[in-house]
Amino acid sequence: MKQVEVRLNIGAVAPLLDVIKKAADDLRDTLAIKAAFPEDDADFNETWTQDLMAGQNSDVRELLGLFDSDFFTDGAISIDANNCDSLLRGCSALRLRILDRWLSEVSLEVIEDEDADVEAIPAAVRVHFAAYTFLDQIQKIILDHLHPNGSG
Amino acid sequence: MNKPSEQILYGTVLTDGSRCFSLLPVARLTPDSLTRPSAKPVPDPVTQVQSADSWRVVLLNDPVNRMSYVVMVLRRVLGFDEPLARHHMLAVHEQGRSVVWTGNREQAEAYMFALHQWHLMAIIQPDEAS
Repeated sequence: MKQVEVRLNIGAVAPLLDVIKKAADDLRDTLAIKAAFPEDDADFNETWTQDLMAGQNSDVRELLGLFDSDFFTDGAISIDANNCDSLLRGCSALRLRILDRWLSEVSLEVIEDEDADVEAIPAAVRVHFAAYTFLDQIQKIILDHLHPNGSG
Repeated sequence: MNKPSEQILYGTVLTDGSRCFSLLPVARLTPDSLTRPSAKPVPDPVTQVQSADSWRVVLLNDPVNRMSYVVMVLRRVLGFDEPLARHHMLAVHEQGRSVVWTGNREQAEAYMFALHQWHLMAIIQPDEAS
């Protein structure tokens, strides 16, 4: 089974994990994207929401699980076909939350520019922006190397 | 302020049998600059259906998910091939929305749910053509 091992600078990643954990706390009882319901039925919508919440929480737990005590020993995270789908979704949920909670004042032009000057990011939210970028790069690694669409 | 990306991530080593791939730079901030899918069934591959009870699944733009992610999700959820998935991704990116499927309501809801599981914003609406 194909596996990607990413070696990280623990000291650099630690402050990003603080942001990610705060975002994960937010997501315990809130969906990352605003719910849009197909039916005008409260019971149906409640079930719909709870099913999405259960999946979202599972995905976020999978992601946080990468950064356990072993990570703080060797700085490595391991991604393979068994966890890459959850990690992709977990990263997406967390990025949506980080953007909504901390980066709403930053222009989308800057946020979407992979070469944006750090000076364009307000100092108070640079760590949040770094966490947002970090999660994006985890997604990119998975998409580039594990081919989760089945093409690889 | 920008420093080499290795400040954050040393690199990525892909282990695939005996092969090792080169380092992959991934981030742009220096440390000192820093002050399951549920029980809902995933539908079968797409079958285009036009009927009197026809509904559209409309994918909406979002500023977060990268293009390759959206393409991957469209391939996984709707069974699109790469060119069709890219076509819809670009339509969403440039026009803000794209009708990715049309058919019966139950299936449309299942697709909408699956797209929400991947954190893509989608809605369903009656197909005016029907």
